[in-house]
Amino acid sequence: MGALPLLKEVLKNIFRRPATIEYPKVETPVEPDARGRQYADLNKCVGCSLCMIECPPKAIRMEKIPEGYEVPKRNARRMYPVIDYLKCIYCYRCVTVCPTRAYVTTSEYRLATSVATTSRELSLSTLKKAAQKSSGG
Amino acid sequence: MADTNVKPDKVVEIPLSTVEIPVGPQHPAVHEPILIKVYAEGEQVVRAEAHTGYNHRGIEKLAEKKSFYQDIFLCGRVCGICNSVHADCYVRALERILDKDPPPRAKYLRTLVMELERLHSHMLVLAVTAEIVGFDTLFMHMMRDRELIMKAKEIVTGNRVLADYIMVGGVRRDLNSEKVDKLKKILSKVEPAIKHYQKVYEEDVTLRKRLVGVGVISPAEVTTHGLLGPVARASNIPTDARFHDAYDAYAEVPFRVITRKECDCWGRSMVRFEESFVSIEICRYILNHLPQGEAVPDERRLPRRFPEGEAFTTVEAPRGELTYYVMSKGGISPYRVKIRTPSYNNIINTVPFYVGHTIADVPTILASYDPCISCMERAVIVDLRRGGRRVVSLRDLARGVA
Repeated sequence: MGALPLLKEVLKNIFRRPATIEYPKVETPVEPDARGRQYADLNKCVGCSLCMIECPPKAIRMEKIPEGYEVPKRNARRMYPVIDYLKCIYCYRCVTVCPTRAYVTTSEYRLATSVATTSRELSLSTLKKAAQKSSGG
Repeated sequence: MADTNVKPDKVVEIPLSTVEIPVGPQHPAVHEPILIKVYAEGEQVVRAEAHTGYNHRGIEKLAEKKSFYQDIFLCGRVCGICNSVHADCYVRALERILDKDPPPRAKYLRTLVMELERLHSHMLVLAVTAEIVGFDTLFMHMMRDRELIMKAKEIVTGNRVLADYIMVGGVRRDLNSEKVDKLKKILSKVEPAIKHYQKVYEEDVTLRKRLVGVGVISPAEVTTHGLLGPVARASNIPTDARFHDAYDAYAEVPFRVITRKECDCWGRSMVRFEESFVSIEICRYILNHLPQGEAVPDERRLPRRFPEGEAFTTVEAPRGELTYYVMSKGGISPYRVKIRTPSYNNIINTVPFYVGHTIADVPTILASYDPCISCMERAVIVDLRRGGRRVVSLRDLARGVA
């Protein structure tokens, strides 16, 4: 009877802990280099738009860096990529085509949030705030 | 039928007529939409029709609008389970247009990912077959052990399901010795588990009663209906693109083509079990004989514009031979991307084989073909301008004439 070896395992399973990961209580083990949330480090970004052009689901938009940040001189147009995480497919094409390797990659997979649906805040947090004097320009 | 020996006044006559029963489109056997319209007389199926079109996404047209490189990720999303084989087939077509050959290490890594994919795909359909038969315990156990292979895929590619691993001129990540050890450990855990499940499949009375002798397709019918993959191999037709085409590292990796003579649902399950062991052997061989050298191309230096040309490539997906035709007229986007998936042949051309079985056997037979609906949904023949439908014969549909 083929079910017999399975029956043994079934009986053992009664006394085992559940195989399912009890997610909110226990964190899902993820590889450290798994493809999770990524964002641009604006100290390296030159605003070239290549990631926007190459993005397969067109999840990246180029935006103007708001006033009040110290932007590196090589980013003369003061543009930076904003990823819409709801559209992003996490293929990391933007990471690999970036000429300055500006993207910061994480293995963060917990993306169900009502707040950070774009990479705007994460990217801007990489820049220093400008001193009060120069903030006007 | 009224019994003639009983007096007529005591018998309630029920007129025996053909009843139309829709199997699907919600969960006919697998979690994908397809309608198998079954005409039954009593319990027996007398006619069956396959109605498709619930999952059409217009991928081929979309591929013409996107760039060659964006299409790699799009093609990977034709089917979730066999995404690497789709990407590999498309990328090899691009490489043929560019006249470029990936380094040997990349070829080995591509093969590794595709074999891991075959492994988890086969485990999935074997688990689903057990679930349909009513053996939910086996389904749960197999799905639990399938997670190990999903983890292996995450280690190699960075994601459990959608690998996005294959790129023109190589792969997108390399393996180090630490990862190789992890993968070997996973394979050593998976192999005894699959052996155990094969034993259950071979010996369990319920599974045998539901699978043996059900959905028999003779070798001649396999050839005339153009069936592919494990469905053909279970009918003793040794068709395998890995063997015939010897793409990527299959020319160097030793493996054997599995065939069975049972021709039924059980034989198809056994082919998948034995192929799983072959896949494990291939993975082990690759991990032990991984060539040294570069595998990851610099994606910033790949040519953006493609020359004129066309390429036709084949790959052995878990469900059979998958083919891609890519045509370039120069520029950054393909002129045409034609995809022919094995599920297309295996689902539509096998409709006559439901006849003669009971209604309860229909989902079992459908699951034994390992249908992948999202793969095959790419031929809607509705003429909107004339406001009519075109009737296309099954043979023409299978040939791709329509």
